[in-house]
Amino acid sequence: MAQNAPSVAPDKLSVNAVGKTFLTRGSSLVVLDDINFNVRAGEFFVIVGQSGCGKTTFLRIVQGLDQPTSGGIELDGRPLHGPGPDRGFVFQHDALFPWRTILRNVMFGQELRGTPRAEAEREARKIISLVGLAGFEQHYPHELSGGMRQRVNLARAFAVNPDLLLMDEPFAALDALTRESMQQELVRIVAETGKTVLFITHQIDEAVLLADRIAVFSARPGRVASIVDVDLPRPRTLALKRTPEFQAMVEHVWSLIAGADHDGGPPTGAHI
Amino acid sequence: MDVFKRPRFYRSIISLVVFLVGWELLGRYVLTNKLFFVPISDVAVVFWKLVQNGQLGVDAAASFTAIAYGMALAVIFGVAFGVVLGASRTVADYSEVYLNALYSTPLVAVAPLLILWLGIGLASKVAVVFLISVFPIVISTAAGIRNVDRNFLDVARAFGATKFQIVSKVLVPAALPFVITGIRLAIGRAIVGVVVGELFGATAGLGFLIATAGQTFDVPDLFVGVLCLAFAGVSLTWMVQAIENRLVRGRPQGLES
Repeated sequence: MAQNAPSVAPDKLSVNAVGKTFLTRGSSLVVLDDINFNVRAGEFFVIVGQSGCGKTTFLRIVQGLDQPTSGGIELDGRPLHGPGPDRGFVFQHDALFPWRTILRNVMFGQELRGTPRAEAEREARKIISLVGLAGFEQHYPHELSGGMRQRVNLARAFAVNPDLLLMDEPFAALDALTRESMQQELVRIVAETGKTVLFITHQIDEAVLLADRIAVFSARPGRVASIVDVDLPRPRTLALKRTPEFQAMVEHVWSLIAGADHDGGPPTGAHI
Repeated sequence: MDVFKRPRFYRSIISLVVFLVGWELLGRYVLTNKLFFVPISDVAVVFWKLVQNGQLGVDAAASFTAIAYGMALAVIFGVAFGVVLGASRTVADYSEVYLNALYSTPLVAVAPLLILWLGIGLASKVAVVFLISVFPIVISTAAGIRNVDRNFLDVARAFGATKFQIVSKVLVPAALPFVITGIRLAIGRAIVGVVVGELFGATAGLGFLIATAGQTFDVPDLFVGVLCLAFAGVSLTWMVQAIENRLVRGRPQGLES
């Protein structure tokens, strides 16, 4: 079918003129204005922007936790209304249920759908070992480190086998070393599962390391300032971060963010 | 085995022995008027007599039946209403003022009214126990529901949970420690409730035993009743504690890091 355009996968997610306005004490605040882009199947798509640029609000709209004021979103050509098991959400704060073991936390999504217990458990165990936590199934979240909890958070989203994974700065609360190893893990897991990912972050090096394409959001109101193709080779490893190509890409994205907001700092401010 | 070597265990034992010996000495050499006080050995003798002639069994059964029914109703209704109250601002606005008023009113004052309505017997005692123990459960459960981390609700909604699933799989388990605290507070009040019910009017029960003993200056009988209630309070609280430890195992002991 796609013989004529073998390099371009079909669109998984279409974002059409999405806008969001909050009303507060009589005055209105435009948080998102006319957001348009498409995410291709199997693509790792990252949104970067400063805090307050509306990127979390946008992701919540895609998940169905918030409603857009205008515009709409389609997943595989179907308009989205409200949350659904076709999307898995990885929260910034892991928000694991402290009364459930790791296994039962990961089974949560399947349990809501009424999947037979044995099947849900088999699936959950598979995903737990995929994120490198085999042996911790019967532990409780408070017995785990921050990085391990974030792995469980990933596993919980993967366990519903979603078409699209939404990740809201999942590594922001981790220390630098743990963050780097989690980035590597995520690259590996996404490569193994072939999922489409929509990932948001304020860390440019993280965006460049993970992304196939990056959308730069400007702040107040949030707009797509530009979309950048990241054509660095895969698999991406930490060694890539030391290369001039990587640095050049980080600086390029930085200049776009700075240009989008006019009050951005110098490129040296990038987290590298 | 190790439990016997734990300070918590042997200190409780030492404390109990000192208390009993002190009581015995006080009764024998200080407060010797048997109309006011008796040594613990006299109480023990009467206790054994009441056990053997079956009277204590009848009274204890009467009281604990009332406590069991009253508490069961209080837990069922209290948790259900507490969840609604905690989850719905509207329900809270309409009912909060009455709840707070009833919670702080000494409800033992309405015991005579309940006896008028329901007559002397099990029904009126169950009603008193229920009424007096349901409020801590309602209020504590509602507080627990309101304290649930908003992030947990987002997770549930993101995974497409229905309203019922949000309540049963997130709100109730998250609020469970609060619910159990409410139940523990309720137990103490339930015991007060049953005794008050029996003081006002009853034909059996530990409260009835105490009332009768008091009216006939039978101090040993009175102490048997009081000690049985104390024992019931301690063991019921201990039971709830054990259930609590089982249910909330896996949760961090202190503040979440």
